[in-house]
Amino acid sequence: MMVAKRLAVFVVLYFAALSQPINAQDREMVIPVPQSAYSQAVKVKGGTLVFLSGVGPIDEKGVLLAPGDFPGQVRATWEHMRRIMAKVGGSLDDIVTMTVYTTERRWGEIFTDMRKEVFKTGYPSSAFMEARKLLTPGALLEIQAIAVLKD
Amino acid sequence: MKAMKMWKLSGLVLILTIARVAMAQELKKEFVDPQLQEARSTAVKIKGGTLVFLAGHTASQPRPDADLGNFDVQFKAVFEKIGNTLAKAGGNLDDIVSMSVFLTDLRYTPQFQKMAKEIFKKDFPAMTFIEVSHLARPQSVMEVQPIAVLP
Repeated sequence: MMVAKRLAVFVVLYFAALSQPINAQDREMVIPVPQSAYSQAVKVKGGTLVFLSGVGPIDEKGVLLAPGDFPGQVRATWEHMRRIMAKVGGSLDDIVTMTVYTTERRWGEIFTDMRKEVFKTGYPSSAFMEARKLLTPGALLEIQAIAVLKD
Repeated sequence: MKAMKMWKLSGLVLILTIARVAMAQELKKEFVDPQLQEARSTAVKIKGGTLVFLAGHTASQPRPDADLGNFDVQFKAVFEKIGNTLAKAGGNLDDIVSMSVFLTDLRYTPQFQKMAKEIFKKDFPAMTFIEVSHLARPQSVMEVQPIAVLP
């Protein structure tokens, strides 16, 4: 009996002590640029990676939201992204980098102002560019992101 | 009796150690919300494995004025090149988890998806399609930038 107990304690300690460094996640925002709501780099160790397909301002049925309204489409895109992140077991805060494609680069400031409202625990790294065309007809932006979930 | 116990204990430690190492290294891949029609997954979730970030691949040839052929020919050339790159890294096309697809005309998208379906069968990477006005070579109609995870 005594041996079995000791053995159980040993097994638990063995896994608890040694699995910690593998599952822990370290995250560091390198050179944050708060006025544009991004970081020059994000350093992450550990965790589960999530690669997202391009996300646009559409609802669950794939219908375009807020046609012609850039701020409305940014909000719709965050909502869409929230749905996907919830599905994979995370949240928007887990996003570490994003490439933002818009049909007009002059919307950059509006976009970064709206990104400030969404990211509270540190800004992801980011690239912002004008694409000639996006896949969803009428979409004014599309975001391609990578997230790292905490284990 | 005591020697027997020690023997059993050391056996247990060995098994646990092997289990731990296997747990840490085993690659877990989950294709979230696959869209068969579009040959892409909404997201791809990854735990473990070795990441490979590939450069943008085009059908370009050493001769700058080379005829790169039509869309289908370029698609085949691009994926042959990507396959070669991945082979050099110790993997293959099935290891791709995400792709940025830059096209000079988004009307090529359905054809791209049709041909991608033949490559990936059912485990589709996350994909983003963007129309750009120019690629590095004037003859190029597509550039594909993948991310792969090797077991």
